[in-house]
Amino acid sequence: MKNQWTNFYTGYVKVKANGKGSERLINALTRRGIHVWDVKRAGTESVVFCIDLKEIPKLRETVRESNCKVTFLYGKGGPFLIKRLLKNSGFLAGSLAFLVCLFVLSNMVWDIQVHNAKPETEYAIRKELDQMGIKIGKVQFLLDDVDTIQRKLTDNIGTVTWIGVELKGTTYHFQVVDKKQPKAEKKTSPRNLVAKKKAIITDMFVEKGQPKIKVNDYVNKGQLLVSGMIGKEDSPKVISAKGVIKGETWYKSTVEVPLDSTFSVFNGEEKTKHYLAFGNVSIPVWGFQDPGYKRYEKDITVRTFHFLKWELPIAYKTATKRSKEEIVRKYTNQEAYDEARKMARADLKKQLPVDAEIIGQKILQVIPESGKVKLTIHYQVIENIATGQPIIQGD
Amino acid sequence: MASKWGQNIKKLLVRTIDLPQDVMMDLPRITMIGQLHIYIENHRGLLAFTDTEVRLMLKKGQLLIRGNEFVIRTILPEEIMLQGKIDQVFFIKE
Repeated sequence: MKNQWTNFYTGYVKVKANGKGSERLINALTRRGIHVWDVKRAGTESVVFCIDLKEIPKLRETVRESNCKVTFLYGKGGPFLIKRLLKNSGFLAGSLAFLVCLFVLSNMVWDIQVHNAKPETEYAIRKELDQMGIKIGKVQFLLDDVDTIQRKLTDNIGTVTWIGVELKGTTYHFQVVDKKQPKAEKKTSPRNLVAKKKAIITDMFVEKGQPKIKVNDYVNKGQLLVSGMIGKEDSPKVISAKGVIKGETWYKSTVEVPLDSTFSVFNGEEKTKHYLAFGNVSIPVWGFQDPGYKRYEKDITVRTFHFLKWELPIAYKTATKRSKEEIVRKYTNQEAYDEARKMARADLKKQLPVDAEIIGQKILQVIPESGKVKLTIHYQVIENIATGQPIIQGD
Repeated sequence: MASKWGQNIKKLLVRTIDLPQDVMMDLPRITMIGQLHIYIENHRGLLAFTDTEVRLMLKKGQLLIRGNEFVIRTILPEEIMLQGKIDQVFFIKE
């Protein structure tokens, strides 16, 4: 007996045969090799049975030879389903349109929220976002990705230190840290102020506490600057010393600048290839041509499609190849020397706190070695050297 | 006389080399699953079919099946699968 599970897909019809000799009709059908099933008696002179859709012409022929009358009751299976689907295509189109709408709407920006920002900062951010095209109702993946937005915002808005950008579903959240937030007065425990490093005191401003040094004193690292013990000697009061002690400190730095150096530079040529990614498989859809760059950097961005709150395994991927060139820079000894001085200063600035000030520099040593220039520079810097040291009250 | 001869030879063959009898002698092979199903191979056509009675042509004679609520699940030129409540199976010699 052959397997009949495919009957449903190819479609079948339920047939009613009326008349005497319905058994003979069935015999005739089977003898012609037509598959008949679910034969049932429906009254004294009629029989109901199922037959494959494609056997209907043969059935007609067979019926003509017999003295039965055949009526078709109903059809079932694939072809009929499709027919009905087409008949009700409005519903199908409607449900598809619904899904498409839902899909498009899930990929749109619906809300932009800025947290922890002062009104003016928030205004600036919103204006900047408007310029970048991030507005309510935009399609997410035509916009920059989160990292780019973050970089652009931090670059363009000077008054904030950091902006955290997060895309949660259809809402952008901006977490802002303002630069000049009034710091809450820290309650400090009783402490002395001691020197951070060896220095010569140039300026001092003591708010609280008893100063133990004078201007122009030389102090070593860890030396007591301002004492937190005030009052009479026999009944001292312990407080938290506070103040700014500016001192001249010294730094020595060594820099080396090679005379010849090679750089990789982007020359502005780039080529983007677009993909649709299904899981791990990427199918290129645009930009098939290989640009044939000798050296290049590849940059891949992936945007996943969303459906409601879920991420779909389908993503839109772009791979951008940026052409690179090697550039050789040549310095003369003098140029290298100037460059080294600049570099050393910039390096030092990075290490120092913001309020520090470089007041002098002295070049100690210039060594023009083979192919490079080595500089040793001594700097004089004025900075706050005070740091707290808690007073531990024992006894 | 000749057919009788042939029959005898077939019987002998069946007995000696152990061939299945339904193949050799065109007998119906009937498989029943409780009272629910009856599966008949080697029939020669449907003679009568009602809810309570099915009559099948065999090579020799007829097969009569009685029961209730008969439905022919499938029917092929030489096979038939009947479903329902089967009460009796008769062989009718003609």
